Amino acid sequence: MMNEFENHETQFENMRDQLNTLKKKLDKQEIVNDRVIRHSMKQTASNITRRYYIIMAVALLMIPYSYAVFVMSLGLSLAFWIATSLFMLVCAGATYYNNLNVVNSNMMSSNLVEIGKKMARAKKFDANWLFFGIPAVIAWLAWLTWEIYQQDAEAGRYMVYGIGCGAILGAICGFKMHFKTQHQYQEIIDQIEDLTAEE
Amino acid sequence: MNALENQFAQTIAEHKSTIYTVCYMFSQDADEVNDLFQEVLVNLWKGFESFEHRSDIRTWIYRVALNTCISLDRKKRRSSTVRLTMDINLFEDRDEDTRQVDMLHKRISKLQPFDRAIVLLWLENLSYEEIGQIVGITAKNVSVRLFRIREQLKNMSND
Repeated sequence: MMNEFENHETQFENMRDQLNTLKKKLDKQEIVNDRVIRHSMKQTASNITRRYYIIMAVALLMIPYSYAVFVMSLGLSLAFWIATSLFMLVCAGATYYNNLNVVNSNMMSSNLVEIGKKMARAKKFDANWLFFGIPAVIAWLAWLTWEIYQQDAEAGRYMVYGIGCGAILGAICGFKMHFKTQHQYQEIIDQIEDLTAEE
Repeated sequence: MNALENQFAQTIAEHKSTIYTVCYMFSQDADEVNDLFQEVLVNLWKGFESFEHRSDIRTWIYRVALNTCISLDRKKRRSSTVRLTMDINLFEDRDEDTRQVDMLHKRISKLQPFDRAIVLLWLENLSYEEIGQIVGITAKNVSVRLFRIREQLKNMSND
Protein backbone atom coordinates (compact mmCIF):
# COMPACT_ATOMS: atom_id res chain seq x y z
CA MET A 1 0.00 0.00 0.00
CA MET A 2 2.81 2.36 1.01
CA ASN A 3 4.75 1.40 -2.10
CA GLU A 4 1.76 2.17 -4.28
CA PHE A 5 1.40 5.59 -2.64
CA GLU A 6 5.11 6.30 -3.20
CA ASN A 7 4.83 5.15 -6.80
CA HIS A 8 2.00 7.57 -7.46
CA GLU A 9 3.82 10.42 -5.75
CA THR A 10 6.85 9.67 -7.92
CA GLN A 11 4.57 9.68 -10.91
CA PHE A 12 3.29 13.17 -10.04
CA GLU A 13 6.84 14.34 -9.44
CA ASN A 14 7.71 12.99 -12.88
CA MET A 15 4.87 15.00 -14.32
CA ARG A 16 6.27 18.11 -12.65
CA ASP A 17 9.70 17.35 -14.08
CA GLN A 18 8.17 16.89 -17.52
CA LEU A 19 6.43 20.24 -17.20
CA ASN A 20 9.70 21.88 -16.18
CA THR A 21 11.40 20.29 -19.17
CA LEU A 22 8.72 21.82 -21.38
CA LYS A 23 9.14 25.23 -19.77
CA LYS A 24 12.92 25.12 -20.18
CA LYS A 25 12.50 24.16 -23.82
CA LEU A 26 10.10 27.03 -24.40
CA ASP A 27 12.25 29.54 -22.53
CA LYS A 28 14.91 29.08 -25.21
CA GLN A 29 12.45 29.99 -27.96
CA GLU A 30 11.71 33.38 -29.44
CA ILE A 31 8.29 34.47 -30.55
CA VAL A 32 8.56 33.61 -34.20
CA ASN A 33 7.00 36.55 -35.93
CA ASP A 34 9.70 38.82 -34.58
CA ARG A 35 12.42 36.39 -35.59
CA VAL A 36 11.07 35.81 -39.09
CA ILE A 37 10.61 39.50 -39.77
CA ARG A 38 14.05 40.31 -38.44
CA HIS A 39 15.50 37.62 -40.68
CA SER A 40 13.68 39.03 -43.69
CA MET A 41 14.90 42.55 -42.81
CA LYS A 42 18.43 41.19 -42.53
CA GLN A 43 18.17 39.71 -46.03
CA THR A 44 16.89 43.00 -47.48
CA ALA A 45 19.59 44.97 -45.67
CA SER A 46 22.32 42.66 -46.97
CA ASN A 47 21.02 43.22 -50.52
CA ILE A 48 21.39 46.96 -50.02
CA THR A 49 24.86 46.51 -48.52
CA ARG A 50 25.97 44.29 -51.39
CA ARG A 51 24.83 46.94 -53.87
CA TYR A 52 26.69 49.62 -51.91
CA TYR A 53 29.91 47.59 -51.93
CA ILE A 54 29.62 47.22 -55.72
CA ILE A 55 29.11 51.01 -56.08
CA MET A 56 32.16 51.68 -53.87
CA ALA A 57 34.33 49.20 -55.81
CA VAL A 58 33.28 50.61 -59.18
CA ALA A 59 33.83 54.21 -58.02
CA LEU A 60 37.33 53.43 -56.76
CA LEU A 61 38.27 51.39 -59.83
CA MET A 62 37.10 54.27 -62.01
CA ILE A 63 40.04 56.39 -60.75
CA PRO A 64 42.88 54.42 -62.42
CA TYR A 65 40.60 53.34 -65.28
CA SER A 66 39.62 56.93 -66.11
CA TYR A 67 43.30 57.94 -66.07
CA ALA A 68 44.09 55.22 -68.60
CA VAL A 69 41.14 56.11 -70.86
CA PHE A 70 40.77 59.89 -70.50
CA VAL A 71 44.36 61.00 -70.02
CA MET A 72 46.52 58.33 -71.67
CA SER A 73 44.23 57.18 -74.43
CA LEU A 74 42.08 60.23 -75.31
CA GLY A 75 44.56 62.86 -74.15
CA LEU A 76 42.04 64.79 -72.03
CA SER A 77 43.26 67.25 -69.40
CA LEU A 78 44.68 66.20 -66.09
CA ALA A 79 42.28 68.63 -64.39
CA PHE A 80 39.35 66.68 -65.82
CA TRP A 81 40.78 63.42 -64.51
CA ILE A 82 41.35 64.97 -61.08
CA ALA A 83 37.75 66.23 -61.03
CA THR A 84 36.54 62.79 -62.11
CA SER A 85 38.62 61.15 -59.39
CA LEU A 86 37.33 63.56 -56.75
CA PHE A 87 33.77 62.89 -57.84
CA MET A 88 34.37 59.13 -57.59
CA LEU A 89 35.95 59.53 -54.16
CA VAL A 90 32.97 61.56 -52.94
CA CYS A 91 30.64 58.87 -54.38
CA ALA A 92 32.53 56.08 -52.63
CA GLY A 93 32.77 58.08 -49.38
CA ALA A 94 29.08 58.95 -49.32
CA THR A 95 28.14 55.35 -50.09
CA TYR A 96 30.45 54.12 -47.35
CA TYR A 97 28.97 56.62 -44.88
CA ASN A 98 25.39 55.63 -45.69
CA ASN A 99 26.28 51.95 -45.61
CA LEU A 100 27.29 52.39 -41.95
CA ASN A 101 23.61 52.94 -41.08
CA VAL A 102 22.80 49.54 -42.56
CA VAL A 103 25.88 47.64 -41.37
CA ASN A 104 25.63 48.98 -37.79
CA SER A 105 22.01 47.88 -37.49
CA ASN A 106 22.09 44.41 -36.04
CA MET A 107 18.80 43.25 -37.48
CA MET A 108 18.58 40.14 -35.31
CA SER A 109 19.12 41.74 -31.93
CA SER A 110 18.96 45.53 -31.99
CA ASN A 111 15.99 47.53 -30.84
CA LEU A 112 13.51 47.73 -33.72
CA VAL A 113 12.74 51.40 -33.17
CA GLU A 114 16.44 52.22 -33.43
CA ILE A 115 16.78 50.15 -36.60
CA GLY A 116 13.74 51.93 -38.03
CA LYS A 117 15.32 55.32 -37.35
CA LYS A 118 18.60 54.27 -38.98
CA MET A 119 16.79 52.93 -42.03
CA ALA A 120 14.76 56.15 -42.36
CA ARG A 121 17.99 58.17 -42.07
CA ALA A 122 19.72 56.01 -44.71
CA LYS A 123 16.72 56.25 -47.03
CA LYS A 124 16.66 60.04 -46.73
CA PHE A 125 20.41 60.30 -47.31
CA ASP A 126 20.10 58.05 -50.35
CA ALA A 127 17.26 60.21 -51.74
CA ASN A 128 19.08 63.48 -51.01
CA TRP A 129 22.15 62.18 -52.77
CA LEU A 130 20.36 62.71 -56.08
CA PHE A 131 20.29 66.49 -55.47
CA PHE A 132 24.06 66.42 -55.58
CA GLY A 133 24.57 63.44 -57.87
CA ILE A 134 22.40 64.52 -60.83
CA PRO A 135 23.82 68.05 -61.21
CA ALA A 136 27.34 66.67 -60.69
CA VAL A 137 26.89 64.05 -63.43
CA ILE A 138 25.40 66.65 -65.81
CA ALA A 139 28.33 68.99 -65.16
CA TRP A 140 30.79 66.13 -65.60
CA LEU A 141 29.20 65.11 -68.92
CA ALA A 142 29.28 68.71 -70.14
CA TRP A 143 32.96 68.99 -69.23
CA LEU A 144 33.71 65.66 -70.90
CA THR A 145 31.94 66.78 -74.09
CA TRP A 146 33.78 70.08 -74.09
CA GLU A 147 37.13 68.32 -73.53
CA ILE A 148 36.47 65.95 -76.43
CA TYR A 149 35.49 68.80 -78.76
CA GLN A 150 38.70 70.54 -77.81
CA GLN A 151 40.66 67.54 -79.00
CA ASP A 152 38.96 67.00 -82.35
CA ALA A 153 35.64 68.65 -83.20
CA GLU A 154 34.82 66.29 -86.10
CA ALA A 155 35.60 63.01 -84.34
CA GLY A 156 34.25 64.48 -81.12
CA ARG A 157 30.75 64.74 -82.61
CA TYR A 158 30.53 60.97 -83.06
CA MET A 159 31.99 60.38 -79.65
CA VAL A 160 29.37 62.63 -78.11
CA TYR A 161 26.64 60.44 -79.63
CA GLY A 162 28.24 57.50 -77.87
CA ILE A 163 28.53 59.43 -74.63
CA GLY A 164 24.86 60.47 -74.95
CA CYS A 165 23.72 56.86 -75.41
CA GLY A 166 25.95 55.77 -72.51
CA ALA A 167 24.57 58.54 -70.32
CA ILE A 168 20.96 57.54 -71.07
CA LEU A 169 21.70 53.87 -70.36
CA GLY A 170 23.63 54.83 -67.22
CA ALA A 171 20.79 57.07 -66.04
CA ILE A 172 18.24 54.25 -66.55
CA CYS A 173 20.41 51.78 -64.62
CA GLY A 174 21.21 54.36 -61.94
CA PHE A 175 17.58 55.33 -61.37
CA LYS A 176 16.52 51.70 -61.37
CA MET A 177 19.13 50.93 -58.71
CA HIS A 178 18.19 54.04 -56.74
CA PHE A 179 14.46 53.24 -56.70
CA LYS A 180 15.14 49.62 -55.84
CA THR A 181 17.23 50.72 -52.85
CA GLN A 182 14.56 53.22 -51.78
CA HIS A 183 11.92 50.52 -52.07
CA GLN A 184 14.00 48.12 -49.97
CA TYR A 185 14.53 50.73 -47.26
CA GLN A 186 10.78 51.35 -47.21
CA GLU A 187 10.18 47.60 -47.02
CA ILE A 188 12.31 47.36 -43.86
CA ILE A 189 10.63 50.44 -42.34
CA ASP A 190 7.16 49.01 -43.12
CA GLN A 191 8.09 45.65 -41.61
CA ILE A 192 9.24 47.37 -38.43
CA GLU A 193 6.06 49.44 -38.28
CA ASP A 194 4.00 46.31 -38.84
CA LEU A 195 5.84 44.45 -36.11
CA THR A 196 5.58 47.26 -33.61
CA ALA A 197 1.99 48.14 -34.52
CA GLU A 198 -0.79 47.19 -32.16
CA GLU A 199 -3.08 44.29 -32.96
CA MET B 1 5.75 51.61 -29.89
CA ASN B 2 4.18 53.45 -26.96
CA ALA B 3 4.80 52.72 -23.28
CA LEU B 4 1.82 50.40 -22.94
CA GLU B 5 2.83 48.38 -25.99
CA ASN B 6 6.37 48.15 -24.69
CA GLN B 7 5.11 46.95 -21.34
CA PHE B 8 2.88 44.39 -23.03
CA ALA B 9 5.68 43.10 -25.24
CA GLN B 10 7.90 42.73 -22.19
CA THR B 11 5.19 40.92 -20.23
CA ILE B 12 4.59 38.52 -23.13
CA ALA B 13 8.31 37.86 -23.49
CA GLU B 14 8.53 37.04 -19.78
CA HIS B 15 5.50 34.76 -19.73
CA LYS B 16 5.63 33.25 -23.22
CA SER B 17 6.51 29.79 -21.88
CA THR B 18 3.55 29.80 -19.51
CA ILE B 19 1.15 30.91 -22.24
CA TYR B 20 2.49 28.39 -24.73
CA THR B 21 2.37 25.58 -22.17
CA VAL B 22 -1.33 26.22 -21.55
CA CYS B 23 -2.04 26.35 -25.30
CA TYR B 24 -0.07 23.15 -25.87
CA MET B 25 -2.00 21.26 -23.18
CA PHE B 26 -5.27 22.23 -24.86
CA SER B 27 -4.21 21.37 -28.41
CA GLN B 28 -4.06 18.29 -30.54
CA ASP B 29 -1.68 19.49 -33.24
CA ALA B 30 0.86 22.20 -34.05
CA ASP B 31 -1.63 24.37 -35.97
CA GLU B 32 -4.01 24.34 -33.07
CA VAL B 33 -1.28 25.46 -30.64
CA ASN B 34 -0.39 28.33 -32.93
CA ASP B 35 -4.01 29.39 -33.32
CA LEU B 36 -4.59 29.25 -29.58
CA PHE B 37 -1.36 31.09 -28.82
CA GLN B 38 -2.39 33.84 -31.22
CA GLU B 39 -5.88 34.02 -29.71
CA VAL B 40 -4.57 34.16 -26.15
CA LEU B 41 -2.20 37.00 -27.05
CA VAL B 42 -5.05 38.93 -28.64
CA ASN B 43 -7.20 38.47 -25.53
CA LEU B 44 -4.34 39.43 -23.24
CA TRP B 45 -3.78 42.60 -25.25
CA LYS B 46 -7.49 43.45 -25.14
CA GLY B 47 -7.48 43.24 -21.36
CA PHE B 48 -3.98 44.54 -20.71
CA GLU B 49 -4.90 48.21 -20.46
CA SER B 50 -7.71 47.57 -18.02
CA PHE B 51 -5.70 45.11 -15.90
CA GLU B 52 -5.41 46.91 -12.58
CA HIS B 53 -2.67 44.83 -10.95
CA ARG B 54 -5.02 43.88 -8.11
CA SER B 55 -3.95 40.29 -8.71
CA ASP B 56 -0.57 38.94 -9.68
CA ILE B 57 0.15 39.32 -13.41
CA ARG B 58 0.91 35.59 -13.67
CA THR B 59 -2.50 34.76 -12.16
CA TRP B 60 -4.18 37.08 -14.66
CA ILE B 61 -2.27 35.57 -17.58
CA TYR B 62 -3.24 32.05 -16.50
CA ARG B 63 -6.86 33.11 -16.17
CA VAL B 64 -7.02 34.67 -19.64
CA ALA B 65 -5.07 31.83 -21.25
CA LEU B 66 -7.14 29.08 -19.63
CA ASN B 67 -10.44 30.85 -20.29
CA THR B 68 -9.48 31.30 -23.92
CA CYS B 69 -8.37 27.70 -24.33
CA ILE B 70 -11.40 26.23 -22.57
CA SER B 71 -14.06 28.44 -24.07
CA LEU B 72 -12.91 28.95 -27.63
CA ASP B 73 -15.08 27.14 -30.10
CA ARG B 74 -12.89 24.63 -31.87
CA LYS B 75 -14.54 25.34 -35.21
CA LYS B 76 -13.78 29.00 -34.88
CA ARG B 77 -10.14 28.52 -33.97
CA ARG B 78 -8.73 28.42 -37.48
CA SER B 79 -7.46 31.81 -38.42
CA SER B 80 -6.35 32.65 -41.93
CA THR B 81 -2.87 33.65 -40.89
CA VAL B 82 -0.71 32.92 -37.89
CA ARG B 83 1.18 36.05 -36.97
CA LEU B 84 2.79 35.13 -33.70
CA THR B 85 3.93 31.78 -32.51
CA MET B 86 7.04 29.92 -31.36
CA ASP B 87 9.55 28.18 -33.56
CA ILE B 88 8.98 24.78 -32.03
CA ASN B 89 6.91 21.74 -32.94
CA LEU B 90 6.28 19.64 -29.86
CA PHE B 91 4.08 17.30 -31.88
CA GLU B 92 6.79 16.34 -34.33
CA ASP B 93 10.16 16.80 -32.62
CA ARG B 94 11.69 13.48 -31.62
CA ASP B 95 14.33 14.28 -29.00
CA GLU B 96 14.26 12.81 -25.49
CA ASP B 97 12.94 16.01 -23.85
CA THR B 98 10.06 16.20 -26.31
CA ARG B 99 9.28 12.53 -25.68
CA GLN B 100 8.97 13.31 -21.96
CA VAL B 101 6.81 16.34 -22.70
CA ASP B 102 4.66 14.23 -25.01
CA MET B 103 4.05 11.71 -22.20
CA LEU B 104 2.78 14.54 -20.02
CA HIS B 105 0.63 15.90 -22.85
CA LYS B 106 -0.95 12.50 -23.52
CA ARG B 107 -1.79 12.04 -19.86
CA ILE B 108 -3.24 15.51 -19.35
CA SER B 109 -5.17 15.39 -22.65
CA LYS B 110 -7.26 12.53 -21.31
CA LEU B 111 -8.75 14.81 -18.66
CA GLN B 112 -11.74 17.12 -19.11
CA PRO B 113 -10.71 20.71 -20.07
CA PHE B 114 -11.56 22.15 -16.64
CA ASP B 115 -9.65 19.38 -14.83
CA ARG B 116 -6.81 19.86 -17.28
CA ALA B 117 -6.59 23.51 -16.20
CA ILE B 118 -6.55 22.57 -12.51
CA VAL B 119 -3.90 19.89 -12.80
CA LEU B 120 -1.74 22.13 -14.94
CA LEU B 121 -1.80 24.83 -12.29
CA TRP B 122 -1.19 22.25 -9.57
CA LEU B 123 1.84 20.95 -11.46
CA GLU B 124 3.06 24.54 -11.63
CA ASN B 125 3.10 24.46 -7.80
CA LEU B 126 0.40 27.08 -7.39
CA SER B 127 -1.45 27.07 -4.08
CA TYR B 128 -5.08 25.92 -3.89
CA GLU B 129 -6.09 29.55 -3.26
CA GLU B 130 -4.29 30.70 -6.40
CA ILE B 131 -5.74 27.87 -8.47
CA GLY B 132 -9.19 28.74 -7.14
CA GLN B 133 -8.73 32.41 -8.05
CA ILE B 134 -7.73 31.52 -11.57
CA VAL B 135 -10.43 28.99 -12.37
CA GLY B 136 -13.12 30.68 -10.30
CA ILE B 137 -13.84 28.10 -7.58
CA THR B 138 -13.04 27.94 -3.88
CA ALA B 139 -9.82 26.49 -2.53
CA LYS B 140 -11.84 23.74 -0.89
CA ASN B 141 -13.38 22.87 -4.22
CA VAL B 142 -9.93 22.83 -5.80
CA SER B 143 -8.79 20.35 -3.18
CA VAL B 144 -11.79 18.05 -3.82
CA ARG B 145 -11.42 18.22 -7.58
CA LEU B 146 -7.68 17.66 -7.36
CA PHE B 147 -8.23 14.57 -5.28
CA ARG B 148 -10.51 13.18 -8.02
CA ILE B 149 -8.13 14.20 -10.78
CA ARG B 150 -5.23 12.53 -9.03
CA GLU B 151 -7.31 9.38 -8.71
CA GLN B 152 -8.02 9.54 -12.42
CA LEU B 153 -4.33 9.97 -13.17
CA LYS B 154 -3.46 7.04 -10.94
CA ASN B 155 -5.98 4.88 -12.76
CA MET B 156 -4.49 5.94 -16.07
CA SER B 157 -1.08 4.73 -14.97
CA ASN B 158 -2.61 1.45 -13.76
CA ASP B 159 -4.29 0.88 -17.15
